[in-house]
Amino acid sequence: MTRFIIRRLLYMIPMVLGVILITFLLFNVVGGSPASMALGKKASPQALEEFDEQRGFNKPVIAGYWISTRAFPPCDWASPVSVDAETNFPIQMLFPLRSDSRYRCRVEIRAKQTGSVTRFRLDSMNFLSASTQAVSPRWEWAEIEFKPETNSPLVGTVMLSAETGAFEVRRVRVERRMPHGLDSQFVHYFKSLAKFDLGTSLSTNEKVTTMLKRGIWPSLALTVPIFFGGLVLSVALALVCAYWRNRWPDRAFVFLAVALMSVNYLVWIIFGQFFMAYKWHWFPIWGFESWSYLLLPILIGILSGLGGNLRFYRTVILDEIYKDYVRTAFAKGLSPAGVLFKHVLPNAMIPIVTNTVIALPFLYTGSLLLESFFGIPGLGGLSINAINSSDVDVVRGVVLVGAILYVVASLVTDLCYAWVDPRVKLR
Amino acid sequence: MDGFGQSLWREAWRDLIRRRLIRGCLGIIACFFLVALYGEIVYRYYRFVDRTPSYSLVNLSERYLPPSIFRHPFAQTCGAGGGHSIWAGVKALAYRPWGTDNLGRDVLQRTIQGTRIAFLVGIVTSLIAIPIGVLLGCISGYFGKWVDDLIVWLYSTIESIPGLLFILAISMVVGKGIMGVYLGIGLTTWVGLCRLLRAEVMKHRDRAYVMAARSLGYSSWRIIFRHILPNVFHIIIITFSIRFPAAIGTEVFMSFLGIGVQGEPSWGIMIGNARLRLWQGVWWEMAAVSTAILLVVLAFNLVGDALRDSLDPRLRSKES
Repeated sequence: MTRFIIRRLLYMIPMVLGVILITFLLFNVVGGSPASMALGKKASPQALEEFDEQRGFNKPVIAGYWISTRAFPPCDWASPVSVDAETNFPIQMLFPLRSDSRYRCRVEIRAKQTGSVTRFRLDSMNFLSASTQAVSPRWEWAEIEFKPETNSPLVGTVMLSAETGAFEVRRVRVERRMPHGLDSQFVHYFKSLAKFDLGTSLSTNEKVTTMLKRGIWPSLALTVPIFFGGLVLSVALALVCAYWRNRWPDRAFVFLAVALMSVNYLVWIIFGQFFMAYKWHWFPIWGFESWSYLLLPILIGILSGLGGNLRFYRTVILDEIYKDYVRTAFAKGLSPAGVLFKHVLPNAMIPIVTNTVIALPFLYTGSLLLESFFGIPGLGGLSINAINSSDVDVVRGVVLVGAILYVVASLVTDLCYAWVDPRVKLR
Repeated sequence: MDGFGQSLWREAWRDLIRRRLIRGCLGIIACFFLVALYGEIVYRYYRFVDRTPSYSLVNLSERYLPPSIFRHPFAQTCGAGGGHSIWAGVKALAYRPWGTDNLGRDVLQRTIQGTRIAFLVGIVTSLIAIPIGVLLGCISGYFGKWVDDLIVWLYSTIESIPGLLFILAISMVVGKGIMGVYLGIGLTTWVGLCRLLRAEVMKHRDRAYVMAARSLGYSSWRIIFRHILPNVFHIIIITFSIRFPAAIGTEVFMSFLGIGVQGEPSWGIMIGNARLRLWQGVWWEMAAVSTAILLVVLAFNLVGDALRDSLDPRLRSKES
């Protein structure tokens, strides 16, 4: 058993790493620019760069030294631009470069005439270093490193000019050098996770961890009663179904369960709120002031989940009911109720408990819709708002914590399983 | 389906058809499918002629028309085309039969467009999720060892992320719109199928027919896809019938929240719109949409159940 627990604990490590990796990939790599998501498409490049700087998005993704700067977005021309002794080629920076880092300018370049020596030069008013380089007649990347001397606005333009001969340019990049190669987004993310720092919300500038701590109680107040109420009700109904299996109460309940399952969740909420709260005044409509505000969402939550649960528990119990020991119990002359409660239910508890424990972490995220419809300030409503306002850090925090809770719950489930049912082979 | 052992499939089909309820459900699904096709044609037509589609045409003089199939043809002051001909009368008879919404748009036509989008979402997400699930499930079940470990790790990681939030996060990251819906649902819902297929393929891996194929020197891919897959194909069919209504439900939810379909009358958008008018007593838009959703999802659920019973009774206890 100890070996099983240890192995199972070790198995959690790749899972947690996987979750971290997936959230990282999703929000940092696929997600495009969180800055433009947050600030809108019309934000100035400087504002975007400052945003990235604050949140560590201006670092390389996994590792690397050079990272492109928003001061000069990567430029590709379909037809090459030619530069000669008369015409210089200005590289216009959108905002002053930082004086604390080194930059490099990479250009894909080729000389116009073969044979003669062509050199290009990169210079500006306030560079510490500007240098010249020879150009070959084939397309080649050439790069020149430089360091802005001050943050003066004069650094607006970098001049690319021909010292001798003429050349053509087709791509230009300006990149900033990181202090060291592992100063990356991934390392940054990992470091902040190690400090239990999930970042800050964009819209309220609050720590995500404090938001989560505040939101979890209302969520649990809503989901825990839904969960246990639904569990008790559906197991009871499933027993009723199993007792009268394949007769009309069973058929009616099963059909009802499928029908209940098929009603959309939204429809449940809207009709419940409209009729029971607004028309008939049974419940308060909206808010989170006393326990009575929770009644209607709890009722709706139980009803909407009842169909699926009832069907599941019914199959679980029916799986048991055709087994030999049940026949023996009946043959001994035990009453049907006695068989059902004393013999069948304890054996059916194994899948029921497994199903229950594995569903527990989902209580934490609350109910996305119920919370936003009934104005309950829990994590569900929080995540909906965060998604609507593209608040990446909050969404990522909720997803990550939810996933880790799930990993823990599946560990607990496995342990429970091994403990309850000795037949389970310990892998 | 020649290679698939006809009798089994034919028997299952006969089994389904014999039950009146299932026949009715299949009929409902077929009807909705035709409606969705009609919606697609209308959509393409308006795209082709480059006009605002009639279902999103705002007509403020006809707001909140209640549903009626006997709209008095001559008392009509607007719409219906005026005129006192018989044709105008006939047209007026079926004019806005399901009423109009807050901007005077035809609820029936919008519901039809919603059907189109729902079916698109159901089909496209299945086309994304099922191949992923089939491929990974078969590979990990057949090859075992580190391939299996890797794939199990992948799907248990994905499974551990709260489902709906994951879908919403993907679509947030991809960008609001129907593409986000497709990718969000498609990329997260293959796990169940993958797990089922993996377990099933593992059982088949050591059976005699696979051994025979292996000793004939067939390649692993050929054994997986030509020999084993047809034997586990019913799982794919059953999964499809279960995930289709689930995908529709998720799309409704996402569109309702405003991160799903944009600018087109999806069911979720219609519910969001109708919800606000419900308080003013405008019930028909809500009723139309919720009835449509209920019918489609109920029909699919019942057919899915029946399929499961007739194709593979053993699956009943595993998936629910």
